[in-house]
Amino acid sequence: MEHAAIALLGFYALGYLILGGADIGLGMMMPFLAKNAPERRQVVRGIVPFFLGHEVWLVAAAGVLIGCFPELEGRMLTSAFPAVVTLLLGWIARDVGLWTRGRAASPAWHGFCDVLICLGSWVVALSWGVFLLWTGGEWPGGIGLLLAGLVVLLFAAHGLGYAGLRIAREGAVGTRVRQLSGRVGGRVLFALTAAAMVLTGIATGRGLSLVDGAADPETLAVLVPALLVITPLVLAAQVGMWWLLRARAVPESDITPVSHPGR
Amino acid sequence: MSPETLDLARWQFALTAGGHFLFVALTLGLATFLALMQTIATVTKSDTFTRMTRFWGRLYVINYAMGIVTGLVMEFQFGLSWSGLTHYAGNVFGASLALETIVAFFVESTFLGLWIFGWDKVNRWVHLGFIWVVTLTAYASAFWILVTNGFLQNPLGYAMDGDKIKLTDFGAVVGNPAAIMAFFHILGGALVVGGFFVAGVSAYHLFKRTPEHRLFTRSLRLGIGMVVPALMFTVTFGGLQLSALHGYQPMKAAAFSGSDSTLAELQADAVARFGPGDYIPPVGAVKTAGIVMMVLFMPLLMFGGLSLLLSFFRPLVHRFRAWHVLLMMAVPWPFLAMISGWVFREMGRQPWVINGLLKTSEAVSDVSPGHMRFSLIAFGSLFAALIVLNIVLLTRAAKRGPVDDAVVTV
Repeated sequence: MEHAAIALLGFYALGYLILGGADIGLGMMMPFLAKNAPERRQVVRGIVPFFLGHEVWLVAAAGVLIGCFPELEGRMLTSAFPAVVTLLLGWIARDVGLWTRGRAASPAWHGFCDVLICLGSWVVALSWGVFLLWTGGEWPGGIGLLLAGLVVLLFAAHGLGYAGLRIAREGAVGTRVRQLSGRVGGRVLFALTAAAMVLTGIATGRGLSLVDGAADPETLAVLVPALLVITPLVLAAQVGMWWLLRARAVPESDITPVSHPGR
Repeated sequence: MSPETLDLARWQFALTAGGHFLFVALTLGLATFLALMQTIATVTKSDTFTRMTRFWGRLYVINYAMGIVTGLVMEFQFGLSWSGLTHYAGNVFGASLALETIVAFFVESTFLGLWIFGWDKVNRWVHLGFIWVVTLTAYASAFWILVTNGFLQNPLGYAMDGDKIKLTDFGAVVGNPAAIMAFFHILGGALVVGGFFVAGVSAYHLFKRTPEHRLFTRSLRLGIGMVVPALMFTVTFGGLQLSALHGYQPMKAAAFSGSDSTLAELQADAVARFGPGDYIPPVGAVKTAGIVMMVLFMPLLMFGGLSLLLSFFRPLVHRFRAWHVLLMMAVPWPFLAMISGWVFREMGRQPWVINGLLKTSEAVSDVSPGHMRFSLIAFGSLFAALIVLNIVLLTRAAKRGPVDDAVVTV
């Protein structure tokens, strides 16, 4: 049972690093990919249809953690307290920007939301860098900062790879995505950075005493089967979501203008 | 443990959970209306109901977004601030939280994304299915959270295992009357919140005589039609809970309605059982909150009942402007009743985090007051900003009325 619980935790945590990490990375890359307001909106449209479906992988991973590894959960979050707080603050700022950007027509509001999205994404990535290294219980010092910096860069690179999948090839943003990805190309870059995300996640997980930190067998006997039944169903729903909303974000000029009466 | 950290952590939990609870109440209520409206729209192919679904859907999504971002803080807060609770009771308490996140919330979010961005992309019956999944998983979410909270009020299905507890009977945890009755009570309350909200916003448009009188007449009738049955449903489960309280939380019941001598007796009993300490919750706050919640019931029921009668007469729905004003003014009161009920339930449990098992002071994390102060200030001001933002955005979208626009634009 412990091993099934570890597999579930790994599945949701790695799923988050790949999917949620891609949304965060794309938010971080906004100033490098978009140089004016319509281009920024295009980048946001690349993030928007999936970000809710993607970020809940972390909510699910945290759920598995609190249900199957409650002791460990308390210890991890408490020891890295400041990193968790900044992670949440960045996450909320970014989500507020994404959710409310289109609720007003003023360019100032759009600009403010873009700052929330981009800055929030950087804060989240940095908090992850610090948090992942802190989970050992103690902060590893100077080398830790260097590794945290590498994690931040990994998020940004992963976002660039994701841009190659989400942003239409034509137009200025698509061109910048290709230029920045260089010869590697979007798909391959995404696969490489996703693999790096997985390795980072596994390396962190190996540092945790997961088997010892697991909940009682009685608890796992209830929880693990329930989670194993629901997991393929939610995965199917997610696959349906990717398929249904798979269209890439095209440049503004290619969108039929929508009137906003009464704004 | 520093007493300062404890106070700061309690303030942080109270402000964030209370704020989150208000968003959730409206989300639960509005989701139900939305599912009903879209069902009518799908079955009858009514244009009015289709436009209603889009209009109320936009308000729903604004509020849902605030509910979700505040909920993120809630999920991580147990591990952050209350690791004593996850250490002591994680084996029992963590299971229902885990089920909430995956069986309910994960599914809800995925399908909400499908519902928002899947307009006109899928068959209309499939799209109707999406909103029903969203609504039912929202209920499931509330259910699992109340199973978790019910365990804190009335722990069942566990056994001691060294310095912590373990799960022995999951059926008892799920079937806990302190969870089931509270779930129905809150579900009813959320429908009251949603009903008055829908009626109040509709009344605004009828009062302003916007061209949308057809759509808002329907909405007003739907909202008001829900209020009276929902109030009766809520009060029934509230009454059942109150009488059951004497069994599992006599101290909370006594803080609300008992005499000083009853309180003193219960305090003496608790000292005999658990050792020296103060086992009386803050009586003034518990009593006030309980009274506010119950006193609000009568005016809400009377106004709701009268409004139901008036709503049958189309000329009154269109022209009775004093009534429109009263309907708009009624919107905040069910929120006040909800939050009072929450204060009553949660403060009445003190000094225990798990009634009779673990004290709040024993559950707080070993974190410095400086760290806790930083997170309290950060989350406190952020939540205040989010509440203001939610009110501003809801008001704007409500005033703007139905427009042919996507539910979410970027």
